[in-house]
Amino acid sequence: MCDLQSRIEELEEEFQLLDPRERLELLLDYAARLPELPEEFRDAADRELHRVPECQTPVFLWLTFDDGAVLHAEVAPEAPTVQGFVSLLRELIAGCSPEQVAQIPQDLLHRVGLVEALGMVRSRGLHAILHRVRAMAGQQQSAAAKSQS
Amino acid sequence: MAEYAHPEVLVDVEWVLEHRKEVDRIRIVESDEDVLLYDMGHIPEAVKVDWQTDLQHPVIRDYIDKEAFARLCEERGISDDTTVVFYGDKNNWWACYAFWAFKMYRHADCRIMNGGRQKWLNQNLPVEKAVPQYPRGRYRPRDRDLSIRAFRDQVLEHLERGGKLIDVRTKGEYTGELLHMPDYPQEGALRGGHIPGALHIPWQVAIRDDGTFKSREELEEIYIGQHGLSPDDDIIVYCRIGERSSLTWFVLTYLLGFKRVRNYDGSWTEWGNLVGVPIEKGEASS
Repeated sequence: MCDLQSRIEELEEEFQLLDPRERLELLLDYAARLPELPEEFRDAADRELHRVPECQTPVFLWLTFDDGAVLHAEVAPEAPTVQGFVSLLRELIAGCSPEQVAQIPQDLLHRVGLVEALGMVRSRGLHAILHRVRAMAGQQQSAAAKSQS
Repeated sequence: MAEYAHPEVLVDVEWVLEHRKEVDRIRIVESDEDVLLYDMGHIPEAVKVDWQTDLQHPVIRDYIDKEAFARLCEERGISDDTTVVFYGDKNNWWACYAFWAFKMYRHADCRIMNGGRQKWLNQNLPVEKAVPQYPRGRYRPRDRDLSIRAFRDQVLEHLERGGKLIDVRTKGEYTGELLHMPDYPQEGALRGGHIPGALHIPWQVAIRDDGTFKSREELEEIYIGQHGLSPDDDIIVYCRIGERSSLTWFVLTYLLGFKRVRNYDGSWTEWGNLVGVPIEKGEASS
């Protein structure tokens, strides 16, 4: 099982050592590592339900828990900041349980100094992505609880 | 075909291709919604000006002061008499926003590259990741020109006088539906709808499919013919944070020669949070 808490602490350390400009460069590295959306999700009939509507650029997210959390994403290529943050979240939660993912701190963007680097208006869209990932994990959790009872 | 009212402010991709190396008198500036897009590859001679991290004050909800603006220009090798050509993503929203901001700081020679970043990329023209360095510019700070910017109290006065307003957002934002979507509380405004009496003319009516501006005749047919506006009207444009409306401001002011158009940059994220101001919901009343 993943140790999300210490991963978050490492992430905070990694970003807080950098100045805002360097934090954006680091986000660009994350963006480059975001894998393509697997084929099985590409033409999903319920695709629109996976859109994050607060983002001005198209963002679609899927969260599976076959063997711990895997975040699958399709982000418009003209939105490297969003790609970077989604990729960061993907690496952060890889292999974690729904309970853990639902508990990612809501102030993650502040903790890693990205609000400072990006500004408030842009951060809002990224907050929405975080909110969505937490909510998707929460749904998994309650679905699992229902099937057990 | 009739020329635009101020044809010199709009340059095409070919013009930029021909003049881009004249870096001692021309500075190409990329301004995008996404702060990292420039870093993924840009016109080789272009520098970046970010609407949020560069142009906005880090603490107060306002733009940077004139001294900081002069510094920003000097660092990018922009002097008082430099020709600044803006381009960007999203059909030049942010290029128009930066153009508007530069005009507010009274920069004389500003232009827009028609079609923006997408048009440049579509033609497979050269792009570069390295950030070019230029000798420091010499820039004299000037007081802001507030004749192109509207503040909320001015919008209220304008409203009482029956002045014309244009809301350039999507239909859902204009009618106020968008804030009613369940589970999405983060639109940034506590109330939905539009400023009473505002005409609903979405920004994209001015744009062709390839991201370039429509012809003067086509634009006149829309703004003057269909919506009854006149070049002498006193008009305030707004959207959510003032970026899309700066595109409409640019179209009315420079392409059609309207004489008094102001951009309300506080826009809906301010108006939709103000206590006691009038709001209209649903379709346009007239």
